[in-house]
Amino acid sequence: MSTSRISAVVLTAAAALGLAACGSSSSTTPSSTGSTAKIAPATIDGAGSTLAAPIYMQWASNVKSQGLTVNYSAVGSGTGVADLESGTVDFAGSDPPLASADLTAIDKKGKPAQFPMAFGAITVSYNLPGVQTGLKLNGKVIGDIFDGAVTKWNSPEIATLNPGVKLPSTTITVVHRSDSSGTTDGFTEFLAATNPTFAKKIGSGKLVPWPSGETGAAKNAGVAAAVHQTSGAVGYVEQAYALQNSFTYAAVENSSGKFILPTIANTSAAAVGLKVPADLGLVAINSSNPAAYPIVSQTFIDVYKDMCKAGVSSSAAKGVYDFLNYAFTTGESELGPGSNQLPYAPLPASLLAKDKTQLATLTCNGAPLS
Amino acid sequence: MTELPHISARRRRTDKIMRGLLAGATGIALVPLILVIYYLIYKGIGQWSVKFFTTDPNGNFLGYPGGIRSAILGSIEIVALASLIAVPLGIAVALYLVEYGKKSLFANVVRYFVDVMTGVPSIVFGLFIYIVLIASHIGGNFTGWKGSLAIALVMLPIVARSAEVVLNLVPGSLREAALALGAPRWRVVTRVVLPTAAPGLLTGSLLAIARGAGETAPLLFTILGANALTLNLSQQMNALPLQIFNDITSPRNAIVARAWGAALTLVTLILILNLIARAAQRRSRMA
Amino acid sequence: MEAHTPVIGGGRSALERSPLARLPDRVLKWGLIGIAGGVLVLIAYFFVRLIGESTLALDRFGVLGFTFHNRWLPSRLVFGAGAMVFGTVVTSAIALVIGVPVAVGAALYLTELCPRRARYPLTILVDLLAAVPSVVYGLWGVYVLIPKLKPVEQWFANTFHFLPYVAGHVAGPSIFIAGLILAIMILPIVSAISREVISTVPPEHKEAALALGATRWEMIRMSILPYARPGITGGAMLGLGRALGETIAVVLVIGDDPAIPHAIFGQGYSLAAVIANEFGEGQNVPIYRSAMLACGLVLFVLTLFVNGFARAYVLRGERKMFAAAGGGGTQPGESEVEAAMGV
Repeated sequence: MSTSRISAVVLTAAAALGLAACGSSSSTTPSSTGSTAKIAPATIDGAGSTLAAPIYMQWASNVKSQGLTVNYSAVGSGTGVADLESGTVDFAGSDPPLASADLTAIDKKGKPAQFPMAFGAITVSYNLPGVQTGLKLNGKVIGDIFDGAVTKWNSPEIATLNPGVKLPSTTITVVHRSDSSGTTDGFTEFLAATNPTFAKKIGSGKLVPWPSGETGAAKNAGVAAAVHQTSGAVGYVEQAYALQNSFTYAAVENSSGKFILPTIANTSAAAVGLKVPADLGLVAINSSNPAAYPIVSQTFIDVYKDMCKAGVSSSAAKGVYDFLNYAFTTGESELGPGSNQLPYAPLPASLLAKDKTQLATLTCNGAPLS
Repeated sequence: MTELPHISARRRRTDKIMRGLLAGATGIALVPLILVIYYLIYKGIGQWSVKFFTTDPNGNFLGYPGGIRSAILGSIEIVALASLIAVPLGIAVALYLVEYGKKSLFANVVRYFVDVMTGVPSIVFGLFIYIVLIASHIGGNFTGWKGSLAIALVMLPIVARSAEVVLNLVPGSLREAALALGAPRWRVVTRVVLPTAAPGLLTGSLLAIARGAGETAPLLFTILGANALTLNLSQQMNALPLQIFNDITSPRNAIVARAWGAALTLVTLILILNLIARAAQRRSRMA
Repeated sequence: MEAHTPVIGGGRSALERSPLARLPDRVLKWGLIGIAGGVLVLIAYFFVRLIGESTLALDRFGVLGFTFHNRWLPSRLVFGAGAMVFGTVVTSAIALVIGVPVAVGAALYLTELCPRRARYPLTILVDLLAAVPSVVYGLWGVYVLIPKLKPVEQWFANTFHFLPYVAGHVAGPSIFIAGLILAIMILPIVSAISREVISTVPPEHKEAALALGATRWEMIRMSILPYARPGITGGAMLGLGRALGETIAVVLVIGDDPAIPHAIFGQGYSLAAVIANEFGEGQNVPIYRSAMLACGLVLFVLTLFVNGFARAYVLRGERKMFAAAGGGGTQPGESEVEAAMGV
């Protein structure tokens, strides 16, 4: 085959692929399935929390047929908020409420609006052949494990809490997040509140100085995968990832002294009776509810109150509004303990009402979006 | 007839051992390749289906996680644009170096800088494009074409280097004959030098394209990724290496399986490019 | 090209062409110069921008402080990349120690000892390692290499625990695995360059050794290796340069621990990996962003040095070969070497 023949073949193949692409790209005919609101075709970009990523991606898949394309990149809460600050995304997913440093940076473009979306339990998942779900642990012991003070599974600290459980003598492989993570923030907040040594040595935040000798993995999915693959490993993994892969996880002692498993019901219990500040920046860690799992994280979608003034295109601003509207009407009903629901705790009614009120205040260059 | 000196048994043994070691080294070198290809096929081929290639990753939490259509098409678009930028520019730089610059100071400086460019880790190119184009919001935020630019930066020095080598192999006598017959310089370049060097240029370009197709790091901060299919380069897009990278760290077995299928697809595409490049090389009139 | 008349332009000498007819020549020449200049400006701008963005961090922590101090605390905005530099250097060193002997051995076998028929297919197979992209090596590393090697590594760590830097718990991802995967990735480059260099050894040297009664191995040792050493060293350094900058395969298997590991099977970090993981978070915090780019700069300078050495070595080797080959003909090996370096 001469060179020109080869080029011809390559070009034809490329053209064929191009035609196939054109032919199969979905034409956007919004099908009104009688759902609550009419959605205009748009494309919106979001990034952030991996804890909430399964939710947003499922919702994105659901609204796709109505012409709304939602691109959500699960890059971690820290990066998501940073992207919102630099204006490279339309909305951010963040587990922790916006900190003062974030607020100062965001204020350069405009006031932010935080929408609590759901609650997810942060499980302490372990990979120990022979040990079932429900290993009893408390903040003190978990903190000692994660700061390197406790190194073996059969150490006395763990054994005293679990009489009757046969613990192997394996070394504990600790897995933590290597990227800036809202899940880390929630987890370390709990540990800092219950273990003074941990608070002093490591502290809390999206990125903390973990002791050396531990394994780091990026994103919730990465930690889950690492725990999944390493016998003797323990890691903090969001509930949805743990449930999806049938992990074994601990029953953690809450502030009332009860050892609670991270079920959806126990997660929802943490949302009851929460103090909700005016900007909706609530925190659900270490709930005082005696039935609640103690390590429950809230998760937000953060946007600018006046999106267009902050640089978002008007069609994208409408798209964000539509997406949030979908979330508060249909989306929340997809969260829950049912077998075809996403394993997160939905918002209690009072919080949902507050979200809807705040949604109505979003504007585009002063004009309301609703 | 003089006899050859007698080779002691010890020397013979050493010879045998070392030859065995060297053969063993070749075997060891091939073991990873065999293992990689084996596992790619073993874990990946099961994923290949019509649905795999015609659906996008859908982000569904339960059930079928979707195929890799948006990733394949996104990669093709991004790499095609990158090639459209890098290949002509690279060949142009090489043409300058061979036809006009030769050993002049300016040409040597250009050569040195192109060399320096080959040593830059590809992630740093992604950072550069991010800082210059994305943080400053020029032309939108995360877009497909910015990813193409980052990949073009990776490909450019490769194309330029190999093109320079190939163009140098065009015999000077051909050029001189054309000039002696009165052809103007530009005609010599376009009608004599380039056609003669074409197979070699094609080989070099295809190898650079294969390299660009497999790059992930430059895309991390430039296209950010997406699930949905879009052919619009001024939006966030998906790309095959990025899709694989994201899927690798998933705890869901179905998604990891998709990563294997996607990896097999990517390697197959790259192999095809490599094979075409080699075929072109063998046909080269100067090989 | 006209074949019927050797004169263009209706009978005038080519030297007498009108200025208009010379225009395409000018356009081509200056167009190409412009493009070359443009590429130069682009690279220079890249360099300037990289240094500019890194200045903040380098000023705050000092160039040496940033590069060698082992204290990476993003939450407190303290950045000392010592652990990352360590990880980058050590994984690349492991890659060299494992990869170069195998690559050179394979190159020797393929050029000297291999039966003729097997030579081409085997060569292609070794070169095929270069076609596998980094992310696929990462995937294979995470799901095949790490689980399969873990028991072996643990056995090794337990048996040889008295050796320094060996004992300890093996979690899976580690500096060693990263080094091993890098070794696999640099194999094709080092092997290709070594093959070229070895094949340019003058046959007279080899025949002389054989004629004096040397065995094949002795011939290799006496005639080929000393001759090819500079070129092979150059090739090894090019492989090193490639290993230093490798991001994706490393970030998946190195364990992401910003500390200097206690053992070879412990987790570590590399400059490229930390950029991949943390740039997103740091993009808006000026000192953090600057620290990320400073990591890129340090990495770039490292590869610059290594590649510079490599070129010097390869050129020195070629000059030796050129002189020894009698000083005639084209430069042996340089074209293939260059092509291999570029691909």
